[in-house]
Amino acid sequence: MALIEAHGLTKKFRQAVKEPGLIGSLKHFFTRQYRDRLAVDHIDLSVEAGESVAYLGPNGAGKSTTIKMLTGILVPTSGSLVVNGLVPYEKRQQNARNIGVVFGQRTQLWWDIPVIESFNLARDMYEIPVKRYKENLAQFTEILGLDEFMNVPAGKISLGQRMRADLCMALLHDPKTLYLDEPTIGLDIAVKDSIRRFIRSLVVERGTTVMLTTHDLGDIEDICKRIVIIDNGKIIHDGDLAKLKDTYARDRVIHFQLARPPESMAAICAALPACETTTDGLRLSVRFDRFRLTAGEIAAAVMSRVEVIDFRIDEPEVEDLIRKVYLGQLSLESTDSDTAAPSLVEA
Amino acid sequence: MLFSAVIVQIAGFLFIWTIFQRIPTINGWSMWQVVMMYALIFVTEGVGSLFFEGTWRLSNLVYTGQFDQMLVRPLSPIVQVLANAVGFNGLGNIVTGLVLIVIGILNTPVQWTPGRLLMLVILVASAATIRVAINLGSAASAFWIKAPWSMVPMFVHQLGEFAKYPITIYSVAVQALIVIAVPFAFVSFFPTAFIFGVEAWSIQGLLTPLVAIYSVVLAVWLFRVGLRRYESSGH
Repeated sequence: MALIEAHGLTKKFRQAVKEPGLIGSLKHFFTRQYRDRLAVDHIDLSVEAGESVAYLGPNGAGKSTTIKMLTGILVPTSGSLVVNGLVPYEKRQQNARNIGVVFGQRTQLWWDIPVIESFNLARDMYEIPVKRYKENLAQFTEILGLDEFMNVPAGKISLGQRMRADLCMALLHDPKTLYLDEPTIGLDIAVKDSIRRFIRSLVVERGTTVMLTTHDLGDIEDICKRIVIIDNGKIIHDGDLAKLKDTYARDRVIHFQLARPPESMAAICAALPACETTTDGLRLSVRFDRFRLTAGEIAAAVMSRVEVIDFRIDEPEVEDLIRKVYLGQLSLESTDSDTAAPSLVEA
Repeated sequence: MLFSAVIVQIAGFLFIWTIFQRIPTINGWSMWQVVMMYALIFVTEGVGSLFFEGTWRLSNLVYTGQFDQMLVRPLSPIVQVLANAVGFNGLGNIVTGLVLIVIGILNTPVQWTPGRLLMLVILVASAATIRVAINLGSAASAFWIKAPWSMVPMFVHQLGEFAKYPITIYSVAVQALIVIAVPFAFVSFFPTAFIFGVEAWSIQGLLTPLVAIYSVVLAVWLFRVGLRRYESSGH
């Protein structure tokens, strides 16, 4: 059985509908109106131990709600959910021992006491053996650079420092699963990098299962092998990241810097069938399907006709891909077959 | 904070003292008996503030979603809520309240045996337990009322004001309210009747530990039912 096993998992919220202003408030007081909103709509999800999963979706898609059900914070409206052999919301305390949780917008640290005191409290709370606690603390302190603010209250440290301390706090008890809800939100590039490196090392060295939601697609490429995309409460894609790229991000673009304007554009275009060629003064860009042509073929064809000073290749960006999915321009239903042509719907 | 609690209590005591300068008894209850009820209300409130102040913060935790954190730790959320904050003003209430209780006891007509003293300790502990359970149970309203600040715990708390005086002065409806629905009468009135050996009410005073158990069970049940409704924030 998989580590996380969800079937038909659903969460419905009842929202009060209130008209604006004082009149609206009064009206709401006497005749309450509600609207049901399906935040998570019958999702099936299965995550094996040791997997690293990116859980993506536009704002309000149901990412956080799913994570909150998996961690035991919310009780599902319907459906079945078993995590590590436990139903999280029924066995909250037992489940808490198996998981580490980092919510980017919140902190597990106590605001008014030094960071190290929060860690010591975690040691007592999770009954971590002293030896193991010291090992973990020493290792995390070194990798995450916690030394400089170990004795400062959590309320007085920067966001980047707080996130690093929170990660340490969530991992001291050797959790099997780590849930990260937007772990790099609002952080500078250096801190983002160190956090991503750290999480990747957890997956590789400790075999920790990681489930992460993010809007920062750099997080995904650095950490995750699998991506699951949710929209309007439904899972619209679940699969391997590399495969997704092969299927949908097939286009590459080569940009050439030319020595002088080409004599005949038509000749170049003719030599590059099935490519999209654009020029702008001394620049020439060729977009091609990397499964039909190689970069070498393109380069050779161009260089035999014009003098090239410099060139570079643009990799397809996952970001572009995901953006298209969010905007509804790309439907990902056919990811099963490697060779299926991408179904691009131009909006 | 600490001294203001002391001043409030002394003022309350002076109020009772002034009344009893004019009239000998209230509905058959003497000054020291009324002072004892008053002191029990304050001592138990002090215990609630000093050790279990967290119940007052529950509505805010629930509204902002900070309560999430308590659900991903390997500890009972109820224990975490109770221990979430310390109210040092409770210390003033406990100290002055205890002084008034001791003075009250010195003015009782009954013979104090070790067994009776033990019963006194049990009664005061039970009274404090009832008080904290009432706080917890009313704080659980936060799971239903989705507002940053709920009136319900404060309203329930104010019912305790009734129990500063002998319940015999109230109508049946008010008596039923503070004996059965929100058992504040077991925090002050019934234990006082036992302490002073008032025949008509002493037996009920001995029920106080049972009422404490009933209050805790009810409060925990309310909390658990509410917890299932918890919706966090920012989905």
